[in-house]
Amino acid sequence: MKFSTATATVADPYLDISTYEADADLMVLNLGPQHPSTHGVFRIKLYLDGEVIVKAVPYPGFLHRGVEKLCEKLTYTMMTPIIDKNDYLSPMMNEQAINMAFEDLHGSAVPRRAKYLRTIFAELQRVASHLVWLGTFGVDLGGALGGGTTLFMHCFREREMILDLFEEVTGCRFHYNTHMVGGNRHDIPAKWAKGVHRVIGVIAERIDEYEILLTSNKMFVDRTKGVGVIDAELALSLGITGPILRAAGVDHDLRRDAPYHAYDEVDVRVAVETAGDCQARAIVRILEMRESLRIVGELIDNVPEGPINGYRPTKTPLQVKITKGQGYACLEGPRGELGTYVIAGGDNRGASPYRLKIRSPSLHAMSCLPYVLPGLTVSDTIATFGSLDPVMGEVDR
Amino acid sequence: MIGVVHDERVVSLLRDRFEVAGFPDDAPPLVGAAHHLALARALRDELQFRLFGFVVASHWPGKPAKKEGESGVAEAFELAYGLRSIGKGSGLAVWRLCLAAGEHAPSLVELFAGADWQEREQFDLVGVRFKGHPDLRRLMMPEDWEGFPLRRDYPINTPCPPWR
Repeated sequence: MKFSTATATVADPYLDISTYEADADLMVLNLGPQHPSTHGVFRIKLYLDGEVIVKAVPYPGFLHRGVEKLCEKLTYTMMTPIIDKNDYLSPMMNEQAINMAFEDLHGSAVPRRAKYLRTIFAELQRVASHLVWLGTFGVDLGGALGGGTTLFMHCFREREMILDLFEEVTGCRFHYNTHMVGGNRHDIPAKWAKGVHRVIGVIAERIDEYEILLTSNKMFVDRTKGVGVIDAELALSLGITGPILRAAGVDHDLRRDAPYHAYDEVDVRVAVETAGDCQARAIVRILEMRESLRIVGELIDNVPEGPINGYRPTKTPLQVKITKGQGYACLEGPRGELGTYVIAGGDNRGASPYRLKIRSPSLHAMSCLPYVLPGLTVSDTIATFGSLDPVMGEVDR
Repeated sequence: MIGVVHDERVVSLLRDRFEVAGFPDDAPPLVGAAHHLALARALRDELQFRLFGFVVASHWPGKPAKKEGESGVAEAFELAYGLRSIGKGSGLAVWRLCLAAGEHAPSLVELFAGADWQEREQFDLVGVRFKGHPDLRRLMMPEDWEGFPLRRDYPINTPCPPWR
C-alpha cells in the first residue's frame, strides 16, 4: 500500500555524540522530569548545537508502579480498579480493554445492551480525553490558542459535563470500576439519554469554535504546521497507532477495521490527514471528537432492552477462573491500539493471570522522539511532545 | 479466540516455510528461534503485516525433581510477538518463541524500529536478552536496579494482602 503523505527526515537515534563535529558548541539540556510540558514525569536528555537539537534520549519510567506485577496476584474481578489508573484520562477504555481479553479467554458472552453501553461510554470518554489534550496543548503552546490557560479552562468545563454524565451512571466522576467480565455493573438511569443529548449538543457547538482556533489562528499555525513530522513508514515501524497514525495518512481505525462492542452496527467515518505534523494531529483529534459525538447520538436512542451482564453480580472474587490459554484483545483508545495480552493459569487456582501485559499506545508514541526531535528547536520539542498526547501513567504503568 | 492465527495465508506461511506443526486452540503457534527474523520479514513484506504490535516475555521458573531418578523442569522463557495488518479487515499475527535460560533471542529492531523500546522493556522487567539489539538498556527501572521484577520468583516484599 502506498501512502500519500509527507516524508520526514528521520534522524539516527543511535548517533554517537562523540563523533559529532569536534568544534561544535554542544550543550546538554535535561527537559524534565519535573517540567510542566512533560504531562507528568518524563525526562528527555537533549544534546543541543546552538538552539538546534542534535540528539534526544528519552528516559521514561519515573511513574512505573509495576501494575503488571501487581495484577499477577489479583483475581480477574479485582483488577479493574487498579487498571483504571493506567491511562487516567480514559479509565473507561482501560477497563474495557482488560475485560475484553478476559472475556475472550473465559468464553463469557456480553449481552447486547452492555455492548451498546460500552460503545457509548467509550465514545464519550474519547471526547473527554481529547478535550483534556486540547486544553493542555493550548497551555503547552504558551497561549497560542488564546492566552494562557483560557482554552484549558474552556475544555475542562466541557469535560466536566461528560464526567457528570458518568457520575450519574456509576457514582464516580473518574475511576469508574463499571466493567466486569461478562458485562457492565451499572445500568443507565432513566432519562439519562436526555442529558446525553443536551451535552453532546453543547459540546458539538463548542468544538466548531475550537476548530476555527486551530485552523485560522496564525500563532497556532506557525507553531504547529510542518513541525514534528512523523511519516507513515516511521509510524508503522514504531507501532504508533491512533490519531498520530491517521494524521500521517494511514486509514486505520480498529473501530471500523476490526469491530468490537457495537461498532459493527454503526458507520464509523475515520478522519485521516496527510501532513503528519502537529497541526494534522490536532485536526484529526478535533474531527474524531465530532465523529464520536455523532456515534453517541446515533446509539443513545437505540439502546436495546435486556440484561447488562451475563450472570448475577459477582459474589466471590474467585468466580472467574481461567486455567489455561493465552490471548490478546485490543480496542481503539483515544491514543491508539490499547491491548491486553493475558497468559492464564496463575495463582489463586486459576483466578489470577500468570502474566499480564498492557500494550500501551503512549509508550509507542513516545518512542518516536529520538527519530523526530533532532533538527528541531527546544520550543518545537514542546509542541511535538504535546501533540503526541502522552499519558505517563500509561507509558510507565 | 484472539491470539490464535485466523488468517489462512499466515497459517500456510507458517506451516510450509517455517516448519510449524502445532496450532494449539488456546495459544499462538510456537516458532523456532532460527526462523524468527525470516518469519517477521515475510509477514511484513509479503503479507503486509506492517504495523508493529507488541512483545511479551514471560518467565517459567525451573522446578527441582520430585523424586530421585526423575528429571526436574528447567527454567525457561517465552516470548510472544505480534504484528498487525492495516486497513479494512485488519488482522493480527502472533507467534511465540521458547528460550532456555541464558539463551538470547534474535532482536527485531532491524525490521521494526518499535521493537527497540519493547524489547528493552522486556529485558528490563523479565530479563530476556536480545541478540543484535543496538541499545539494550533498562527502560523502566533505574539503571542500577538489581533483579528483574516481572520474573515469577521475584518477591513483592509487602505485608499487604493479596501480595504478601
